[in-house]
Amino acid sequence: MRRRAFAMAAVLALGLTTVAAGVRPAPEIGKPAPAFTLPDSRGAKHSLAQYQGKWVVLEWLNYGCPYVQKHYRSGNIPGQQEKWRAKGVVWLAIASSAPGEQGHYEAAKMNVESQKKGSKASAVLLDPAGTVGRLYDAKVTPHMFVIDPKGTVVYMGGIDNVPTPRDRDLERATQLVDAALEEGMAGKAISTPTSRPYGCNVKYR
Amino acid sequence: MGRRGHQAGRGAQATESTEMRRSASHQLKRTTGDRSGRPGMATPVALLVVLAAMVGAGRVAGSDSGPLLSAQEDTTPHSEARLVSDVASIRAGVPFTVGFHVTLDEGWHTYWQNAGDAGNGLIAEWRLPGGFVADSFAYPIPERIPYPPLVNYGYNDEVVFLATITPPPDLGAGGSVRLTLLADFLVCEKICIPAQAERSLELPVRDAPPLPSGDSVLIRRFADRLPVANAQWGTRAARTDGGFVLDVAPPEGWEGSLGGAYFFPADPVLLDHVADQPVGRTEAGAYRVRLTESAYLPGEPQRIEGVLVLPDGAAFNAAGRRGLIVSAAVASANIAWAAEPDEPVAAAGMAVGVAAGNGATANGAGGVSLLVAVLFALAGGVILNLMPCVFPILSLKALGFASRGGDRAGMRRDGLAFAAGVVVTFLAVAGLLMAVRTSGAQVGWGYQLQSPAVVAALAALMFVIGLILAGLFEVGVSLTRLGGLGGSGEGSAFLTGVLATVVATPCTAPFMGAAVGAALIRPPVQGLVVFGALGVGMAVPYMALSFWPALSRRLPRPGRWMETFKQVLAFPMFAVAIWLVWVFGLQTGIGGAARLLLGLLMLAFAGWVIGRWPATVISTRNRLATRALALGAVIVALAAGVAAIRGETPLPAGGDVAAVEWETWSAAAVEEHRSAGRAVFVDFTAAWCISCQVNERVALEAASVRRVFAERDVALLKADWTRRDPAITSALASFGRSGVPLYVYYPADPSAEPIVLPALLTPNIVLETLEKESST
Repeated sequence: MRRRAFAMAAVLALGLTTVAAGVRPAPEIGKPAPAFTLPDSRGAKHSLAQYQGKWVVLEWLNYGCPYVQKHYRSGNIPGQQEKWRAKGVVWLAIASSAPGEQGHYEAAKMNVESQKKGSKASAVLLDPAGTVGRLYDAKVTPHMFVIDPKGTVVYMGGIDNVPTPRDRDLERATQLVDAALEEGMAGKAISTPTSRPYGCNVKYR
Repeated sequence: MGRRGHQAGRGAQATESTEMRRSASHQLKRTTGDRSGRPGMATPVALLVVLAAMVGAGRVAGSDSGPLLSAQEDTTPHSEARLVSDVASIRAGVPFTVGFHVTLDEGWHTYWQNAGDAGNGLIAEWRLPGGFVADSFAYPIPERIPYPPLVNYGYNDEVVFLATITPPPDLGAGGSVRLTLLADFLVCEKICIPAQAERSLELPVRDAPPLPSGDSVLIRRFADRLPVANAQWGTRAARTDGGFVLDVAPPEGWEGSLGGAYFFPADPVLLDHVADQPVGRTEAGAYRVRLTESAYLPGEPQRIEGVLVLPDGAAFNAAGRRGLIVSAAVASANIAWAAEPDEPVAAAGMAVGVAAGNGATANGAGGVSLLVAVLFALAGGVILNLMPCVFPILSLKALGFASRGGDRAGMRRDGLAFAAGVVVTFLAVAGLLMAVRTSGAQVGWGYQLQSPAVVAALAALMFVIGLILAGLFEVGVSLTRLGGLGGSGEGSAFLTGVLATVVATPCTAPFMGAAVGAALIRPPVQGLVVFGALGVGMAVPYMALSFWPALSRRLPRPGRWMETFKQVLAFPMFAVAIWLVWVFGLQTGIGGAARLLLGLLMLAFAGWVIGRWPATVISTRNRLATRALALGAVIVALAAGVAAIRGETPLPAGGDVAAVEWETWSAAAVEEHRSAGRAVFVDFTAAWCISCQVNERVALEAASVRRVFAERDVALLKADWTRRDPAITSALASFGRSGVPLYVYYPADPSAEPIVLPALLTPNIVLETLEKESST
């Protein structure tokens, strides 16, 4: 009895502090994606709410990370960005590297980098405090989330299923974000809703 | 971790590395896919491996006009890699072990097979001559490398990944073969850099048994860190809400605790790597590790697979292995555990057979059956009566019987009460011990005397009993009749039993090694049975005496001789007190011993006051005054005792009992000497262990023994357990013991099993052990 009372008190306390801090739990498949608002590298603000009714892809980004570099220099990620934006998908790359850490750039430098890397993302969002990264429990770059038009998380994990930094491994990889968008936009159930998020640590503060 | 030390320079380092990365990516793009036939790479085997950046740049530098890395960057790699072998030559059909040795700069790490939240394990590809077969690489047990809010699994400093290679049976002798490894791995600090290494090893082929190479010691060191498959350990898993439980049942004879153990899952999307893994016990006595599932769990897993790693100093088997391979089917939570047999641990392909590797399973010393343990305990209990630390008390008991004269019923009651006192105390101590053990502390039998406070209290008790026996003062009936001194009755007999047991505990270890060891690792009820048997054994002679008049008739009649006898008994008491003060002195230093002696003096003064003015012959006023004085003296004595304990100073290394040529024991020292080809003799001892002192004087320091030790260049190591030392406790446990003395001889041949010598040594026993080894 006593233990149960204690557990209830603990849950209650946790609930209260969570509410007080305005923090929502980490994303889960089939649950609403946590709301956020961030500025992009060109000064515009983006909130998840404004993209209600559209498919949204979140991509955690660090141009210094060898795994990210693999997918950019091979054209894998820019190719997908271009393909899906043409079909109305909003593709947001989010940089959560803290100032002084690998992958952090001031807005102007970020634009230069993005152009160099051939990024075709809708926008590159700046999250130097790591708030949104932690909100999504983003562990690595690239860590991917696919959100449906109702704002529900339908896919989270890696960009594909071969977790290496080697370009040549792309040949044998299945592109999971691609597959999730394909199935989701066709109104089908997503066959692989989670996979191992692989890559470099997000360089949080 | 060393990461903190890098904080200051991190900004600069990150930038520099980012720059390197950029040129690396540039080069990688150009060279990806043509990994064979690289002209600039005919580098010696032991050259630095560097990051892909440097490999790429170096290659380009020799061929075309690619950008050169600066010399400064070239000399600051974060890792080195080598391909090593445990043999200097190979022979047709005889498997050998190769290692991919990665040395990392401080603060940098590389990864385990499951890298945790980020990163990647080793990707290796062999280029071997025809007919050669290589097993996949085995990973030594990893460390948990936290990087908030993430956790990675990997290796700091250095690691050797191991693989067994089998040459074809028809390989012709005379020439040599070249083994080449292409390895991709990550080198990470806060940032990660992919490293590529192409390393070759040239080995001569001979028609002779392969001899160990210079790297065999290194390979052995890491082979000892490979996880082991051990079917004696029962593992099972079940689904819970939000995770799993992993139940781990130690084999009989294993001592130790899984407290602080950590389960490294083989599958990166099975568990939340950040979550704590609390370890508890089940009602059946197994350990239960609570695991939190990953948010990326792809479906319902059928098995929980990975490696359970014990903290430093603990081991799953006598060979000191800290990693256990786990592969347990996941049951639904409702299955009744106890009904079914343990599922054996699958022998996954992770354990590499290393020529010199010692995969001994759990030591059999503690694996005696309950019946044998009980018999040992009974016999041990009887022998306890002859031990020097019990003798004075039991002499008193004999005195008590003598005073009973012909009162047979009274004697019987006395005998039973004494037996009850002994048994109850054994059970109480055992219960306490188990409670402490369960809570995870590394405690062994004899632990009472490892606490200076207990030593001081016992010294004071012995001293006061000595004073009473010597006749300085007498204790009234109202005062506790501890020890049954000069009194009679069941209460006093019971207390004698209690006292005898408390004093006897340090003496039990030598005679009870296996039985006590077994008792402590058994389920609580069985353990209590063994301890109870020990107590019964100790009480048996007195019960016999009290029940059979034929025996009791041999006891002398009461008379004036008793007073003399009583006074004579004071001297063994004082002797015990001196021994305890000596032990206390070892624990707290000469200052502590002096304070304790001062306290004893104050007790003597209080006793004298009480004896000089007995309560029955003085006025109330005087009684108050004298008793206040005595109480004051006792308080000063207590204060002195507390001051003595507070002034505790660390023991000098090895303790002062160690003779000059004895080195301080550590598991590493044993390993070091053995790998240098020396035989090792280990003396597990403690200042409070009388048998240990006797064995050392009589056997180990005998001229004949010392001469043979010197002749054979035996490394002599002393493990001093006077103070609690978890490393020694777990080393004892690895031999199925929970107390000292323990003597272990490791023959010079590193593959030979260590030999455990008897608890009572003679020079001949030691010499024969050494002899036996050299004749085989």
